Amino acid sequence: MAFFEMKGVFKHFGGVSALQNASLNVEAGRVHAILGENGAGKSTLIKIMAGVVMPDEGRMIMEGREVQFASPASANQAGIACIFQELSLLPDLSVADNIAISNPPKRFGLIDRRAQRRIAEEALARAGGQDIHPLTPVKDLPLSRRQIVEIAKALARSPRILILDEATSALAAADVDKIYTVLKRLRSEGLALLYISHRMQEIAELADECTVFRNGRNVATYKAGTKSDNEVVELMIGREYSHVFPPKPSVVPSERTPVLEARELSWTNRLKNISLKVNAGEVVGLGGLDGQGQRELLLALFGVLRGVSGEISIDGKHESVTSPHLAKSPGIGMALIPEDRKTEGLMLPMSVRHNLSFAALGRLSRLGVIDRASEDAAVDDVIHLLSIRTDGTNNPVGALSGGNQQKVLIAKWLMVTPRIILLNDPTRGIDVGTKQELYQLLRKLADSGAAILFYSTDYAELIGCCDRVLVLYDGAVKQELIGPDITEHALVSSALNITSKTEEAGAKLAIGA
Amino acid sequence: MSRLARSLVRHIDPAVAIAFGCIAALLFLGSLYSTSFVSPAFLLQQLKVASFLGVIATGAMIVILLGQIDLSVPWVVAVGGMMSTAVASWWGPVGGIIAIPFGILCGVALGLVSGFGVAYLRIPSMIVTLAVNAVAQGLMVVHTGGFSPQDASSQAMRFLATGNSLLGIPNALLVWGVVGAAATFLLSRTTFGRAVYGIGNSERAVYLSGVKLQRVVLLAFALSGGLSAFGGVLLAGYASKAAQGMGDAYLLPSIAAVVLGGTSILGGRGNYLGTVAGVILITLLQSILSVMQIEESGRQIIYGVVIILMLLLYGREGLVH
Repeated sequence: MAFFEMKGVFKHFGGVSALQNASLNVEAGRVHAILGENGAGKSTLIKIMAGVVMPDEGRMIMEGREVQFASPASANQAGIACIFQELSLLPDLSVADNIAISNPPKRFGLIDRRAQRRIAEEALARAGGQDIHPLTPVKDLPLSRRQIVEIAKALARSPRILILDEATSALAAADVDKIYTVLKRLRSEGLALLYISHRMQEIAELADECTVFRNGRNVATYKAGTKSDNEVVELMIGREYSHVFPPKPSVVPSERTPVLEARELSWTNRLKNISLKVNAGEVVGLGGLDGQGQRELLLALFGVLRGVSGEISIDGKHESVTSPHLAKSPGIGMALIPEDRKTEGLMLPMSVRHNLSFAALGRLSRLGVIDRASEDAAVDDVIHLLSIRTDGTNNPVGALSGGNQQKVLIAKWLMVTPRIILLNDPTRGIDVGTKQELYQLLRKLADSGAAILFYSTDYAELIGCCDRVLVLYDGAVKQELIGPDITEHALVSSALNITSKTEEAGAKLAIGA
Repeated sequence: MSRLARSLVRHIDPAVAIAFGCIAALLFLGSLYSTSFVSPAFLLQQLKVASFLGVIATGAMIVILLGQIDLSVPWVVAVGGMMSTAVASWWGPVGGIIAIPFGILCGVALGLVSGFGVAYLRIPSMIVTLAVNAVAQGLMVVHTGGFSPQDASSQAMRFLATGNSLLGIPNALLVWGVVGAAATFLLSRTTFGRAVYGIGNSERAVYLSGVKLQRVVLLAFALSGGLSAFGGVLLAGYASKAAQGMGDAYLLPSIAAVVLGGTSILGGRGNYLGTVAGVILITLLQSILSVMQIEESGRQIIYGVVIILMLLLYGREGLVH
């Protein structure tokens, strides 16, 4: 009998059915991967397991006994811990406070700080974050470290089933490696692990069993490694999956004046003398480990950061870009697709239409009064162009699936017809089908003359999409890879700043990633 | 026809519907007590009194939509009243004409100070506006010597606040109508309005969209100051003179009216129709309580409890959605 079992689970949200007769068996000491496009019902299934959402119908059986979780606390008590896609840490509290937050050790009714710190240290060690000081405020940690704290927080509750929902989507390859080691050890300790990821490599590396979800139903369960990537993707999207990446143009860009050129950009100690050129029609990637200055570089180009030294030229002409307002002005024509679509990119409660036209309102209005006819026309155009799936443009954008939200964010910037497009990890946490559409779109934009600078934490994307890749390390460009030189091996070794002499070490790491 | 009805139903905010429902319930309860509560004369009188609060609440709403708050209402109202009456008596007939714009401009100036503090100095609005309120109070004490000023309001001010025109509709109500129509247009049809809603939802997203965020915030506070002062001008016209503390009774009601009308106190959500409902609701509640001759202390308690109950009602409604 399975350690944990779900049978015939149904769940509706309003008129939308998220789960229809879904079932799942989880074994102890195994890693069970759950695959499916966004909106396939994975998140709902997990929320039911974690007690966040009550099912409309269906049974859950744990060790032969029927269980019901009315709240996250009762699921926790039964030994189910969950790490959600969105981080749940409080940025102003210390790492130790965060780890012990649901059940802090007490002495005479007050929090026992010493015991709390010990608990945090143990949990961090189990999660592979020994180097994180328990008293650091969480806001001072980069995203990847926060993810490790998140795992430690879950482990501190000594769970028997650990659910990871896109828990590695924010991590760069080297950190993912560490997490693997941790997860494999937890598996050998007899934990049941439930793993959701959009990265096929991760699943191939980790999973023992896989279950594919589609339209709220589990459509297939199989032993890991018995199906090819292509077969799996077909199961997920229910259609043939071909040509993930559009073909690159074979022509090498000529020695034209670059659309975007930066010389010797520096900012505090995060950016160090970065120079780069992006030509019209080119997709240039930014590689490297997470937090090596890629994000800051994009923000510096877009005029968000104060006190950037160095020069930026647009079409060979020196320009000082000191605010996003200037950056998007017609003379410069820059757009930035920010990293966090929920807080930096979109206004979730506002309608799809108002989000789409927000950046372009200047050109859709006269003397500050919005011309609604041209707004509607422009909105309809981009919705059609990007095939955004929505029930109506007056619905809040927060009601769309993650992939469609990302499309809205990109469409919002296409409405200002930018010539320079900066993208900060635009495919994080979105489904395969939408990713593929985005790759096609990027290439189409480049072909029509846009200059694209594209940061991604997914190496496969950099390899598949980019004409050139600049690898950043510690705030400086360490290497430029061109065309066929962009390989996983080269990306990993330059990301770790390993010179070609130690290529063997690089090769080992590449296999690990 | 049915399509129109359906789209109408979809467009009405549930909070606005609840507020109008409460107005109907209050009128029903009042009519049980005395039939004069539903007489046209009483209702018009109520709307006239509501107009003053309506003008002030319009400014409060714009700032609340930003996710900020304007606590300088009491003394900006007083500044509006006192400066307009002062000008009216200083400069004779000329002063009578410029009294109204002058009073409003004084409020705009104070609003600009608050707005500058919030937008450019990044001081929380709760602090800046309280400070501006204190400064305004101090300035008025200097101006009046701490007593209620003897200056009378001008003819024009009295005409706007107490007169009636076509079909006996009070001028004050017409003024509120114009202010309300302008606010509705500003919020729903202009880039400024779109930016206000955007800032209330996510300031970072607005900034990264290349919108001149600081200017929008500055302008919103200037509008709020100007509208508060305009409320003061009307009140001075209504009472024929300004008084110390004439704005004290307007801080809580203006914020309560906005929130009861379904505008999120956290910003980014709400429409002007809701504020209209909130203003009428609060005015009716106040006057029904006073007509019933409940003691002042009891009135305050009931008034506060009703506001808390209504907000609880909205909270529930929010959970369902």
